[in-house]
Amino acid sequence: MILNSFYAFLSALGFGVLFNIRGKNLIIASLGGGLSWFTYLLSARLQPSLVFSLFLASLVGSIYSEVMARIYKTPVTIFIICAIIPLVPGGGMYYATLEAVKGNFDASLSKGVETLFSAGAIAIGIVFISSISTIFKKIKK
Amino acid sequence: MHIDDIIHVATDAGKIILENGGETYRVEQTITMICKSYGIPHTESFVTPTGIMVSITNSQNKTISLVRRINNRTVNLRKVEMINDLSRKIMSRPISTDDMRKEIEFINNIPPYSQITTTFFAAGSSGFFTLLFGGNYKDFFVAFIIGALINYLGGYLDKLDVNGFLKNMLGGALAATMAIIAASLGLVGNMDTIIIGSIMILVPGISITNAIRDTIAGDLVSGVSRSVEALFVAIAIAAGTSIAFKIWVLLFGGGLI
Repeated sequence: MILNSFYAFLSALGFGVLFNIRGKNLIIASLGGGLSWFTYLLSARLQPSLVFSLFLASLVGSIYSEVMARIYKTPVTIFIICAIIPLVPGGGMYYATLEAVKGNFDASLSKGVETLFSAGAIAIGIVFISSISTIFKKIKK
Repeated sequence: MHIDDIIHVATDAGKIILENGGETYRVEQTITMICKSYGIPHTESFVTPTGIMVSITNSQNKTISLVRRINNRTVNLRKVEMINDLSRKIMSRPISTDDMRKEIEFINNIPPYSQITTTFFAAGSSGFFTLLFGGNYKDFFVAFIIGALINYLGGYLDKLDVNGFLKNMLGGALAATMAIIAASLGLVGNMDTIIIGSIMILVPGISITNAIRDTIAGDLVSGVSRSVEALFVAIAIAAGTSIAFKIWVLLFGGGLI
């Protein structure tokens, strides 16, 4: 599980370079990717729902990103992108396409819907945290 | 200080953020902040992913406006970060519009990572995604090569001004074709994980994130257009991989798995 999270860290690092993030922000952002993947694996071990695990991972990744953005006074997008990228349901998308090509439309649809739900869960995680963080900003003022 | 200089400086700063992957509200905020630090009491801006409209009114009730069309959008988060820092800085310590223009120009001309660096990291990224999704070390090397090829192809197509749809379609097709070839040569354990790992670097991460963030910030037009952008990229990747599969089956017959 630790090794797997390390892979997620390295993948996020590669992504960070593609997005031209530099210096210490690159490392901090990639750590977010490792952290969210670790949360996902941990949650997937403790309970069966994949979509819920993605939601939790997205929550943790977003909290980490918002906190780091406050500390380093940097746009939060930089961190969120790297934290979320390992969670993006590329696999679901691929299997949905593959089944459609093979002519199994039932399997393709169910994979497709699962992918859509996964994407939704990740989105809700980000929305939730960034909404809360705006409340914090108001309170601080 | 001339009101024309102010609106140009502010809009140029906003344009750089928008072109390099910043959120819509950040563009509007930056424009407002810069105008405010030059003593403009009223600033209104309307920003969508394809254009910026700004209108400012100074204390003598003179109003001017400026429209900027955005044609090219890439991702360079370093520029977003630097403009963000710059606009924070001038809030506390204002500088002249000429100096500001020089700063903006300097930020805009910062070169991105070189092609070799991005190719290497794109390759590493696909390789590690493949490991992440359960591939073994052989799969890693194949995905590494495919990732490098996809990135190289992307860079080449960018030079030819090929649009995003075709670029992602060709990227997806390349990933699928290479993975099938590797699988039929018996080089790899699991073809699926390689393809998933390689197409991950085509995934429109920035559009997805910004679509979500724009929508909740209330920038509905931008939110919807970025979602559509992300959706089309996904469709392009899926179309590319499936066309490659179909052609392979037609040419060589047999099952895929």
